[in-house]
Amino acid sequence: MTPNFAVLGIDTPGFHWPKLWLPIFLLWVPVLLLLPIFLLVFVVLAIATRTNIGRVIAIFWGILCSLPGTHVHVSTQDARVLVRIL
Amino acid sequence: MNENRRQILEMLAAGRITADEAERLMGALETERTSPTGDYSSSSGATVKTRAKYLRVLVEADEATTGMKGPTTVNVRVPMQLLRAGVRLASLIPAQAHQQLDDALNKHGVPLTLSQIKPENIEELIDHLEDLTVDVNGSGGNATKVRVFCE
Repeated sequence: MTPNFAVLGIDTPGFHWPKLWLPIFLLWVPVLLLLPIFLLVFVVLAIATRTNIGRVIAIFWGILCSLPGTHVHVSTQDARVLVRIL
Repeated sequence: MNENRRQILEMLAAGRITADEAERLMGALETERTSPTGDYSSSSGATVKTRAKYLRVLVEADEATTGMKGPTTVNVRVPMQLLRAGVRLASLIPAQAHQQLDDALNKHGVPLTLSQIKPENIEELIDHLEDLTVDVNGSGGNATKVRVFCE
């Protein structure tokens, strides 16, 4: 499953934001519109580097689909950064 | 080799079941092994451990180590699936670059041969990673704790 939301939380002494829920699924709209250009670039790169374009796309798709569940949380006494991908 | 799998192959070799039946039995075994609960029981009733889904890295460091005010904690959870995809990504590295990368890794104390990481070895690598637990506790003035484990 592709990532749908990213949760971003940043706290520093002079800067406090509530947790931001970023709707990543909305990115699919511009990505779909730009897909022909992306594919063209992919094909050119694949030919130039003599790699199998199908394999490259499959690997990057695999990485994209395995991102949900990633969680990174770093905190110090007065600062905190949280990134979650759902 | 799994005992059930061996029995199926023996029955097939003895002609007691057809190749189609053997394939169905193998498929059923595989489904049982990868059931959503993660747990499965062998014919002897022994329960095999659940497959880990995440790699966790926890770091707790004091201000003496980080130079920052107060203790610092890092909590990272990486899906195992992402590790699998990452290892596959390594297979895209051109063969000419492998030697240079291996040399650079060796130079920095990581005796890893990238050319030996192949897609067919990924599952074995991840399976062994599931048994990994690393606990590092600093001593003296260094109160850093590092835990790496799978859950």
